[in-house]
Amino acid sequence: MKKKNLLFVLMIIFTIVLSACSGNKASNDAGNEKENQKEDGSEKITLRMSWWGSQSRHDQTQAIIDLYEQENPNVNIVPEFTGFDGYFEKMAAQAAGNNLPDIMQQNFGEYLNQYADKGLLADLSEFVGNGTIDVKGVSETIMESGTQEGKIIGIPTGANALAAIYDKEMLEKAGTALPDANWTWEDFLTAANKVHSELDTYGTRLLEPGNHFEYYLREKGFKLFNEDGTGLGYDDDQLLVDFMEMNKTLVDSGAAPGYDVIQQIKGVEDELIVHGKAAFDFRWSNQVGALTSAAGKQLELTLLPGKGNAQGMFLKPAMLWSIPESSKHKEEAAKFINFFVNNIKVYEIGGSDRGVPLKQEIRDAMASNLSETEKKIFDYIALVTENSSPIDNFPSASAEVLQALADIDELVIYGEMTPKEGAKKFRKQAKEILSR
Amino acid sequence: MIPKKSEQHDSVVHFPNKKITYNPVKILKSRKKKSGYENLTGYLFISPFLIGLMCLTLYPVLYSLYLSFTEYDLLGTPTWTGLDNYQRMFTNDAMFWTSMKTTFFYAGVAVPIRLVFALLVALALNKITEMVGLYRTMLYLPSVVGGSIAISIMWRQLFGNDGAFNSILDTLGLPTHSWLGDPGTAIWTLIVLYGWQFGSSMLIFLAGLRNIPKTYYEASSVDGARPIQQFFKITLPLLTPVILFNTVMQVINGFMAFTPSFIVTNGGPMNSTVLFVLYMYRRAFEFFEMGYGSAMAWVMLVIIALLTAFIFKSSDKWVHYEGEQK
Repeated sequence: MKKKNLLFVLMIIFTIVLSACSGNKASNDAGNEKENQKEDGSEKITLRMSWWGSQSRHDQTQAIIDLYEQENPNVNIVPEFTGFDGYFEKMAAQAAGNNLPDIMQQNFGEYLNQYADKGLLADLSEFVGNGTIDVKGVSETIMESGTQEGKIIGIPTGANALAAIYDKEMLEKAGTALPDANWTWEDFLTAANKVHSELDTYGTRLLEPGNHFEYYLREKGFKLFNEDGTGLGYDDDQLLVDFMEMNKTLVDSGAAPGYDVIQQIKGVEDELIVHGKAAFDFRWSNQVGALTSAAGKQLELTLLPGKGNAQGMFLKPAMLWSIPESSKHKEEAAKFINFFVNNIKVYEIGGSDRGVPLKQEIRDAMASNLSETEKKIFDYIALVTENSSPIDNFPSASAEVLQALADIDELVIYGEMTPKEGAKKFRKQAKEILSR
Repeated sequence: MIPKKSEQHDSVVHFPNKKITYNPVKILKSRKKKSGYENLTGYLFISPFLIGLMCLTLYPVLYSLYLSFTEYDLLGTPTWTGLDNYQRMFTNDAMFWTSMKTTFFYAGVAVPIRLVFALLVALALNKITEMVGLYRTMLYLPSVVGGSIAISIMWRQLFGNDGAFNSILDTLGLPTHSWLGDPGTAIWTLIVLYGWQFGSSMLIFLAGLRNIPKTYYEASSVDGARPIQQFFKITLPLLTPVILFNTVMQVINGFMAFTPSFIVTNGGPMNSTVLFVLYMYRRAFEFFEMGYGSAMAWVMLVIIALLTAFIFKSSDKWVHYEGEQK
């Protein structure tokens, strides 16, 4: 009798628990219906929105959200933001729980591909087709960066490009020539070393193995990955050897900091160039605004060095807005994205923090009251547009390949490995990862 | 119909740990009284725990066992790959071995440091008679906030190149060092962080110390024992059950450490601080290899189980229980 009771109770609990755990579809659908009814009755809709960025971007985006909520009182937007570190890990956890936000900031390249490969992102063609999201006047190549296999999975927020950022004052003080669009790697090295020896600071920030090595390859006419993403896009390991040797020499001479310093920089506001500890910094053009306001002085920008820089440079969608397939309010999310990419007020608040506006009409409308920094960035993007070739796509496993490259670069800079060994090891690892 | 005291048949049963006296008649009687309804009530009362256990522990654990034999990228369906994940882990993943070595080193050094430190502080606190509460609170504080992100961030600042630690060294005219940037010292900052959070072990030690009857010390001092002798002959032997408990808990804790290596150093420099759980997290959430991550989790489970079993097995040799008959 007792045992039967026990069994009975346990069985009931087990069934309840297991059905609750497995989150079955029926109950989800029921939940869906309920919310839809609310929508029809023009009840309040809650959209979750996530992005990464610096403090200035968080503040700006909050202001933009407030603006949208004022204009659309039935929409409530819940922001979820972090720095870039940890953003995609958080998103991955949410994806696993089928709990992605309704609007998510997405990055071009390996992350977009990862999400697209897994079918996590909704096809926005419908909304673009029926005009909910207006992309008239945005160039084909930029739109293409958010398109995969005919599906529009991301709406670009603006154009972006790698930029060589320099502190004019420091260079002048060190008595070295200012860089222009035609400068070479030798010019860069000379200037960095001169600043180091004259001013007793670092000359340049350490180059990043990912973005900057990719540029280095493109500038020499190669690619990081081959066409079908099954292997590396260059055959001669000497390219990576040269790149790493250049960095290693800079670090060894003290003209660039090693990883012990780089590791402790947490965020754009904390960069060396902000604190006057380095004269050069290579990074994305949309970060120049945040850098400048943190530094409190005007920073200049030009193309990255190299004879082939017109070939090496490329325009990139700064970031994209995506709507996850799991969102229950795709239509409302699409309306918000439309607001974000088309409303002039958004750019008045946010400036070029999410890239230079894609539409000529918005750029023209903004031209009259741009800040000096914004103006420089707009001009720079125009310069890159003239001097660039199309962006290369990355295979979805590239996150791991780039991690391997970063690990190896660290070993080389710390002197645990020669550049030659590093280049060889990288090829071996990349092959392994890409063929998995 | 309760039998009179004299009629009761008391028996003594020797459990390995304790001498427990119980009365079978009494227990049988009380069992008979309980109805099915009462049982149900009981189960209903513990159901919050049961549901929690099954939903939040049992189900995920079993699911991860299943996942460890699959390739699963978070969305879509897991595909069965048999032992592939395990094979890759043991034969084709250098990082797996690196993180394993680092974790063993970390736990192997940090756990004893924390235990010794906790014991020393507990001994000191046991002697203090004034403002005990204040001292205990202050010393326990690091453990309350210790597992948190905030402390890890603070640690990053403290040991950073321009951090407080280097500033102090600088003022004293001593050479500064890049504590977090040097692969040789980065792991040690994490070990110190672990040792510093000794509070909970300390409280348990303190409770153990309070439980040792004063009479033993009095009797021994009458016999002329010095404090050192008292410590090794009385305190330590009588404290061994508590030491066993603390050791087991801390070993488990040490092997599962994640936050410090994630926040303070993020595995760097040169992967010198990639603890096992951090690597597992990277595989699972950065490279979307849930199946592989689950397999790693199961390897860790087996390792911790073996270590715990080993400690328990060895405890026969060094743990003394007061009621034990030899």
